[in-house]
Amino acid sequence: MSDTNYDSAGIKSSVLNFVIDSSFGDKEKIDETTFLFREGYFDSMGFVSLIAFLEEKFSIQTADTDLVEENFETVNAITDFVQKKLTIKSN
Amino acid sequence: MQLHKDILVFDNVASVCENIQNEIRSQIFSVLHRRGAVVGISGGVDSSVTLALAATALGPDKVLGLMLPERDSSSESALLAQKLADTFGVKTITEDITGALEGFGCYRRRDEAVSVVFPEYDPKTYKMKIGIRQSGLKTGLPPVFYLTIVKPDGSEESKILPVNQYAQIVAASNFKQRSRMSMLYYHAERLHYAVVGTPNKHEVEQGFFVKYGDGGADLMPIGNFYKTQVYQLAKHLGVPEEIIKRTPTTDTYSAEQTQEEFFYQLPFEQMDLMWYAFENNISATEVAPVMDMSADEVEKIFLSFHRKQQTTDYLRRGPIHF
Repeated sequence: MSDTNYDSAGIKSSVLNFVIDSSFGDKEKIDETTFLFREGYFDSMGFVSLIAFLEEKFSIQTADTDLVEENFETVNAITDFVQKKLTIKSN
Repeated sequence: MQLHKDILVFDNVASVCENIQNEIRSQIFSVLHRRGAVVGISGGVDSSVTLALAATALGPDKVLGLMLPERDSSSESALLAQKLADTFGVKTITEDITGALEGFGCYRRRDEAVSVVFPEYDPKTYKMKIGIRQSGLKTGLPPVFYLTIVKPDGSEESKILPVNQYAQIVAASNFKQRSRMSMLYYHAERLHYAVVGTPNKHEVEQGFFVKYGDGGADLMPIGNFYKTQVYQLAKHLGVPEEIIKRTPTTDTYSAEQTQEEFFYQLPFEQMDLMWYAFENNISATEVAPVMDMSADEVEKIFLSFHRKQQTTDYLRRGPIHF
């Protein structure tokens, strides 16, 4: 089920919870600045699950061109990416 | 250690072959106490070199080449595999595993997952494959798999594969390699032979094999050799030219697909040198000018190698005893 009204804090908290629930690493060390891929918290399967989660939770669509490190490297980067997508959608 | 483009060229390929042949003889006869070798042959260069090494090490009368086609196999594979066996005087048996795969529900389970992503997909008239985009290697992110369908008119459409459908397609397709492994061991046990596996160094170390499928064997003579070195062995051993010139494919999905497109994302000449540099801890700044890349690109490729090693560690582990 998707939710449509999200502020930055709400997005960050949802993404962080998802990341903590679905990664295999030391969950206590994960915060919004942790490098999720460089530090090995997420592999291919985790990345695709993350994309599916974002698309469903925030009703956004990710394009091939969105799949770059700047958009996904940390929870903060993902939050900015989702906010950008939501802004584009609402305009 | 200095990296240069010819670093993986053998100084004396004959001596390398001789060492491998001695090791095959010693392992099969003295360690495993088996009378010969069974090799699954697909018409690809890896299995061809493996068969050639086994035949020259043990004698062709002590080697059996097994051809294990199924519904999606290319017909060219069988022709090339037979030509190879004839070249080395090795007896072959063909076991079509399509019926076994139907029994496992391999095709049905795979097609069910494909239809979730593309409802119009009809396995009777469409073809399919999965792969990753080449550009993905330099993004710093893990690869994302795409599903591609080939329509009856030849046009293609691709979508990112959702995780559940990706896992189901891979799990269903892996019945192919695991069924082949079962058949290889049937013949090996019947003849008191060993199963000689065909993965090369990249397949072993990057995890491009199926656990208890093509990863299931008693010995893997080319498991420490880079792909360009496998080609050097092939030329020295006299593997037929058509096999050496053939583009390596997965021969797993109904649509044609190269190994580069499915998994490696780099041509083998580059992959070999990059992997060599990675495993010998050669710095990105030293590698960059040799490979005509930026140091940042090299770092990202090294990161993807590191990730592949980590995420496929599970495949290389045997059962855990405690």
